[in-house]
Amino acid sequence: MTQYILRRALQAILTLLVISVLIFGLISSVPGGIMSAYSENPDFTQEDLARLREKYGLNDPVPVRYAKWLLNVLQGDWGNSFTSKRPALQEISDRLPNTLLLMGSMFLVTLAIAIPLGIYSALKQYTFFDHLLTTVALAGQSLPTFWFGLLLIIIFSVLLKTPDGKPLLPSAGMMTLGQPFNLLDRLRHLILPVSMLAVISAASYMRYMRSSMLDVIHKDYVRTARGKGLPEKMVISRHALRNALIPIVTLLGLDLPNLFGGALFTETIFAWPGIGRLFFDSAMKTDYPVLMAVLMVYSFLIVASNLLVDLVYTVLDPRITLD
Amino acid sequence: MKTLKTILFTMLILAMLLAACQPAAEAPTTEPIEATEPAAPTNPPAVQPTNTAVVAPTAAPTTEPPQTGPATGGTVIVGTPQEPTTLNPILAASSIDDALTSLVFEGLVEIDENGNFVPVLAAALPIAEETDDGGMIVTYQLLPDVKFANGNAFTCADVQYTFDAIMSELSQASTSGYSQIVGIECPDALTVVVTYEEVYAPYLRLFSYILPTGAGDLATLDTWAFNRQPYGAGPWMVESWTAGDNIVFVKNANYHEAGKPYLDSVIVKIIPSREVGMTMIGNGEIHVLWDLTEADFVALDAMSAQGVAYAGAVTGENELLLLNFADPAVDGPADPAAAPHPILYDLAVRQALQMAIDKQLIVDTLLYGNVRVGTTVLPAGTFACPQEPSTYDLAGAIALLEGAGWVDADNDGIREKDGVRLSMTIATTSGNLLREQTEQVLVEMLRQAGIELVIENVPSDTLFASWDENGMRKHGDFDILLYTTGPGPDPDSHLFSNYHSASIPTADNEGSGSNYSRYINADVDAWLDDAYGLTDVDARRELYCNVAAQINQDLPRIYLYERLLLSGYRVELQNFLVSPGAMDFTWGSQNWWLKP
Repeated sequence: MTQYILRRALQAILTLLVISVLIFGLISSVPGGIMSAYSENPDFTQEDLARLREKYGLNDPVPVRYAKWLLNVLQGDWGNSFTSKRPALQEISDRLPNTLLLMGSMFLVTLAIAIPLGIYSALKQYTFFDHLLTTVALAGQSLPTFWFGLLLIIIFSVLLKTPDGKPLLPSAGMMTLGQPFNLLDRLRHLILPVSMLAVISAASYMRYMRSSMLDVIHKDYVRTARGKGLPEKMVISRHALRNALIPIVTLLGLDLPNLFGGALFTETIFAWPGIGRLFFDSAMKTDYPVLMAVLMVYSFLIVASNLLVDLVYTVLDPRITLD
Repeated sequence: MKTLKTILFTMLILAMLLAACQPAAEAPTTEPIEATEPAAPTNPPAVQPTNTAVVAPTAAPTTEPPQTGPATGGTVIVGTPQEPTTLNPILAASSIDDALTSLVFEGLVEIDENGNFVPVLAAALPIAEETDDGGMIVTYQLLPDVKFANGNAFTCADVQYTFDAIMSELSQASTSGYSQIVGIECPDALTVVVTYEEVYAPYLRLFSYILPTGAGDLATLDTWAFNRQPYGAGPWMVESWTAGDNIVFVKNANYHEAGKPYLDSVIVKIIPSREVGMTMIGNGEIHVLWDLTEADFVALDAMSAQGVAYAGAVTGENELLLLNFADPAVDGPADPAAAPHPILYDLAVRQALQMAIDKQLIVDTLLYGNVRVGTTVLPAGTFACPQEPSTYDLAGAIALLEGAGWVDADNDGIREKDGVRLSMTIATTSGNLLREQTEQVLVEMLRQAGIELVIENVPSDTLFASWDENGMRKHGDFDILLYTTGPGPDPDSHLFSNYHSASIPTADNEGSGSNYSRYINADVDAWLDDAYGLTDVDARRELYCNVAAQINQDLPRIYLYERLLLSGYRVELQNFLVSPGAMDFTWGSQNWWLKP
């Protein structure tokens, strides 16, 4: 087991290195860049431009810039944002709580909807209710996030109003300005973005839950459990559900990095000050220290969560051993 | 399963705790509204006699002093789709940075809503004198009794410090103009004597912000806390900045205009997009929506019933067609005469192009008549040079083309001459609806004169790419471009970099300069060179007007319509103005007040 983890960790380091080279290369080859804001301005003299290129370290060839970046990162220095001048990690840590709140609530709501409905749908296979649920799930999964978000805004922030003429739900941000922190207010701001994300991801989780449950309830050990005379409730919760949850855990594990990465579309549509929007803004400004930091942390989490999922498997399913 | 659950749960709890610990915006207390003295005229008087620039129509009269006088207190919320990166003007990189720093900082001379230079922290516009050795001395008298928000007096030393900061190693400000200053002396605390190495004509544009001495150590500029928590001599100071969400500005109690600012605070809110911003301003969630474009006129007009109006300023920029004089097949030629464009080098064709375009129709149909047609490179401000508008004359255009030998021999609707088809490409930034519509209208208009336009749009990064990135514009790889450009309040650098023959980008000058038409006219060069050496505004304007007239004869560019700097605002917000200068919608924010 220890050996297995060690081997996977070594592989992970190699993977991350390759990823960093690829991302750095991609970002460096994007046209425009930080200098385009200045080079278009006739008030900036050639000397000004040269001084700024030097300040941003853009005079070095790309491989040298990469090597410098890597050396600094190995020493724990992720560099400063080109635009705000603040450390890249500080930019991230400022927004991380917001993203965790949004994505965490989203996961909770998703599971709270998807698991019971998935189970119910599987147990009542081919009933009207099952057909209805699978149809709704398919529709939910097919919704374009962007369009769905705007639709929610139009319905709940534009068309529907409170009795005093205010929008029913806020369309953007995570707090009402000019008021101290207030849990109710925070929840109100969470409703739209979380619904947008949860409806779409609950749809896919529900479909997985349903098919995995269906798979399991026809297994021999479930029949055995029934044969033993266990009550149906116990059969489902003890014997069927535990096994049916294995694929869901895989999915969840692979989705975990999104807790950090946030939801680019949602955060952009609802002006949620999280990592997704930070990534989007930095990409628009080719702010590569921040871009690299976000992408590398995200890549690390993906690699780590894959390993985590594999390890959790051995706990969940004694038939699986890792060597 | 249990492990995973625990992990998930712990993370959630952690997230909620962390989010709860986020500093929420302090509640600005709304004071009871009191009526004060009837408002004095709120705009600084324009000292300089100038050609009047038209401020775009505003849906509600805002500058009239109301009968009850301004109410004090209250908070105005400004929506912007872009978060500023810094509030330190010498690090500012984008227009939102520039606009918001102007809430905190004032300068010696700034630009009012009509595009004119006006004194702000200076008592009057400075006087420039040429010296015997070809240099120039500019003397400012400063306003007395001005204090920074931290209580320190504003003196000549702060001007010196600002200059040092701009010229320092880590500065990201443009040093053009400042780099010619050889010394700043302070004969007394309120007199500033700036000595230039040689005559620098656009001297009025300098010192548009003043940093307080002691803002920080210039060697560590990038890491100053001041960059996000600045204070200056302007009406506002920063109270808090929640990254990605909002910035709270509160009133500077030491502000030099008595009784102002009227409001208690201004909150800048980062909004998702202009579209969402439109619903927010309609709902009253925000009072100001920054950075609209002419394409938003339809939506704005529809929202006037919801109490939304707009203010705009003529920026001096034109939406224009840039015509390439040189052969696109040749890489970055220095002289188009040696490699002429097969079609556009011919003046008759360029004249015919302009005559075949009905600019007024474009303005009326695509811009709902809200802007003026383009007539001149210098439409507004201190250096405005109005020119005769071009006339739409399809028959005249056809006659010109026929006379120049362009005939449709094969009857396909498009003319030819010596085997060259009168067909050209037009490129603009893709994804811009208004520009794409403009192109379609142009295609239709020019087809009637037997000219074919083929639309080949590219992403803006490609269109505006630098010489090193093989930019199509820099290397001259195009026939016609459609985009916006124009001079700032002082036209010197724009005219030089766009119309002077020394500004043609070539391999020799590493692609510097913006004369993408590769336009060469010896008179224009001479007028621009002469104007650069003058301190007298009227004499300079005369030379610039010669340039503007000559450009309209030679037609390196065809000006379609004048651009506006637009912001939406709610009608209860009084005295909301937009300046075409860097301060944009924040110009005169000390005069804002909310009608109860």
